[in-house]
Amino acid sequence: MAIDRKFLGFALPPFKVTATPERIARFADAIGERNPLYREGIAPPTFLKVLEGEDNSSRRILDALGVPLPRVLHAEQQFDYLAPVRAGDELLVERRVTDLYDKKGGEMEFIVIETSFTGPSGMLVARSRQIVLVRNAPRSQ
Amino acid sequence: MAIDLLNVAVGAVLAARDCPARVKDELAQYAHASGDMNPLHLDEAFARKAGFDNLVVHGMLNMALLGRLLTDHFETDTIRGFSTRFEGVLQVGEPTRVSMTLAGRTGEHAEIGLEMLTHEGRRIVSGHAKVRLRIS
Repeated sequence: MAIDRKFLGFALPPFKVTATPERIARFADAIGERNPLYREGIAPPTFLKVLEGEDNSSRRILDALGVPLPRVLHAEQQFDYLAPVRAGDELLVERRVTDLYDKKGGEMEFIVIETSFTGPSGMLVARSRQIVLVRNAPRSQ
Repeated sequence: MAIDLLNVAVGAVLAARDCPARVKDELAQYAHASGDMNPLHLDEAFARKAGFDNLVVHGMLNMALLGRLLTDHFETDTIRGFSTRFEGVLQVGEPTRVSMTLAGRTGEHAEIGLEMLTHEGRRIVSGHAKVRLRIS
């Protein structure tokens, strides 16, 4: 399969999500974080992935692009932190497909998804950039 | 425990930790805590269909272990950037070791190198972090 390049720029409707203390604590448990700072007050650095993944948003992007889940692997992940995310913060999350490219004659396709996290005052809190690898069958000769 | 990033030698190992092999229940716990319910991490039959012998550990769970090396040693507001490449697939039952080194210093920031290797030396994750230097 080849992902239609018309999906370059595809964006989900922006959504709001709250970093509740319960979700932060549950996440800290799952990653073995025992520092009380990250169990009670501040979200661990990779918790942004939980916030952007709210409501299966990554899956919804893949579905929209027509990508079958068994072919997908997470290839790269980047976070830029402008301010810490604290328990109780409500953030506006905006996700967009910013690049589509392939390697090995289409055997490997890559989807770049960029996400911004904005606080209630309109201040940008963080950015995330994810690269998804789609493994296609080798093209027959 | 604070690390003096201004004075430690470039290339020095700053911290390392052995990580026991993951078991299925831990992947389920991470899936529920993170909302990433991809069956690649939960359902052996699906993992086989995707081409793997066993359940695949979430890349983000591996990244979180590297994140703990950062948060164990640096204050939250000094961690400005964190990126990883998921170079190899880690399956349940494979123990790993995570480590971080000082890769360099540029202006007001230290560049931290991060990696997760299996005990056989297979690279699972490589990464970088940008940490602000405390210049008083």
